[in-house]
Amino acid sequence: MKKIINEPDRFVDEMIEGILLAHPDLVKTPGTDPRVLVRADAPLAGRVGILTGGGSGHLPLFKGYVGMGLCSGVAIGNVFSSPSSQQIFEATKAISGGAGVLYLYGNYGGDVFNFDLAGDLAELEDIPTQTVVGRDDVASQPNERKTDRRGVAGIFFAYKAAGAAAERGDTLEEVAAIAEDVVEHTATMGVGLSPTIFPTTGAKSFDLPEGEMEIGIGIHGEPGIHRGPLETADAIADRLVTALIADLDLTAGDRVAVLVNGLGATPLEELYVLYRRVHQILTGLNISIAKKYVGEYATSLEMAGASISFLKVNDARLALLQAPAKSPFFEEV
Amino acid sequence: MRPVELNESIRRSLAELVGYADELRDLDQALGDGDLGVTISLGANAVIESLTTLADDATPAEIAKTCAKAFANANPSTMAALVAGGLLAGSKTWAGLTEIGTADAGRFIRAAGENIGQRGKTQIGDKTILDAIMPAADALEVASDGTSGLDAAIAGAERAVVETRDLQSRRGRASWMQERSIGLQDPGATAFWRYLESWRAAESVAAKGKELA
Repeated sequence: MKKIINEPDRFVDEMIEGILLAHPDLVKTPGTDPRVLVRADAPLAGRVGILTGGGSGHLPLFKGYVGMGLCSGVAIGNVFSSPSSQQIFEATKAISGGAGVLYLYGNYGGDVFNFDLAGDLAELEDIPTQTVVGRDDVASQPNERKTDRRGVAGIFFAYKAAGAAAERGDTLEEVAAIAEDVVEHTATMGVGLSPTIFPTTGAKSFDLPEGEMEIGIGIHGEPGIHRGPLETADAIADRLVTALIADLDLTAGDRVAVLVNGLGATPLEELYVLYRRVHQILTGLNISIAKKYVGEYATSLEMAGASISFLKVNDARLALLQAPAKSPFFEEV
Repeated sequence: MRPVELNESIRRSLAELVGYADELRDLDQALGDGDLGVTISLGANAVIESLTTLADDATPAEIAKTCAKAFANANPSTMAALVAGGLLAGSKTWAGLTEIGTADAGRFIRAAGENIGQRGKTQIGDKTILDAIMPAADALEVASDGTSGLDAAIAGAERAVVETRDLQSRRGRASWMQERSIGLQDPGATAFWRYLESWRAAESVAAKGKELA
């Protein structure tokens, strides 16, 4: 294992320290716990706070999306493990501006457990909360059980839309409804080429023989739906896009936002090779691309691979995507 | 039971419960991470402190919420948050009540147990605090009076605690031990049983005090 780290056990805290030192104008630690990060101007009086959180190892998810027009705060766990309910509760208090707090995070058991507990603690402090979980990974469950799906890169769309709604002063119910609407119209599928190496143990997140790929693999190495010899970029794009079109039931005349996401070790060049094919397929089907994002939006440390996410847009969703936002890892002007 | 009496009874019983902190710590060290003793003693003392300063006209539901808040913040842990969430759920069954009867206590405990079960995705038999909570709720809900109800609740909880020794832990840190957890008594279930016993002990001391006075 070759990594640029110091003490493996200090990896997460030193990474957070680095973010704070690099972006003091955008984010801060409100209390004594370094695992709670909020936007520098939090709390915003009268505005809904949006809290996300989850394990480390996925930058820019989750910490990278704390800022204007996005999330108000984040509770940070160890690599691939949930933050504690107390950390989530501390973050809730730090971003509460009197209009309630939306919990918006990926659908994983540990995170659901701790966010729910924190919601109870928040209720005791008279801070109303609502919860929307990202659940866009098409490969993790069939369409009939889509509410059980895992959350992956597509949660970015929900951050962007809900964040814009909170920024303009929508109520908690309205912000939650917007997040839910976006989640409902988002689908993602990924491909893995090589695993993540855990910094503390040196263990791999999954095993994949040389020359093979796995379609539908999760961002913690959860098993996918197809394993086989590595294919060309175009063939991979065909597989992923076909699944997403079917899942979202897209037809000619529909509009989508496209996110081609790198999982950590795959170069931007290859993401653009993928995007090229995605663009060709959609244009060929007369589905228009209203907004596009290409880069690293949700990673799995040094996992090689990529994911493609679609959000089916209408005028309302598109306007929220286009609203201004600024965080350490994302900016829309 | 009027709110002022409820407040006093909770404080007296928690003062008794702190005496079991070492037992709970030892049980938890064998099966978990050993912080249950601290969670209980810090939590109990924090609740006592916050109830001491609570206004006399606080309703039973407000008293329960005060307990929840103090317990959650005393020693932050998953167990503390689960208990606090349970107390919060219980307090909702007391909305509008100005006095608490035995059946009300049963309903409170059931709602608390259901919340803990839902949050922790736990069922009876998973070797958790829930195993002791539910028999106690059953007993209190059908009791003809407080004394016999409490006795039956304690008997039911104790039976459940003894039965946890033969079970394999299915939730939380203890589940990592798998079959090695068999033979060890569940600390969470024990904590709830000991709390009921603490309540009975505190009430009997208080009753004797009244006789002498």
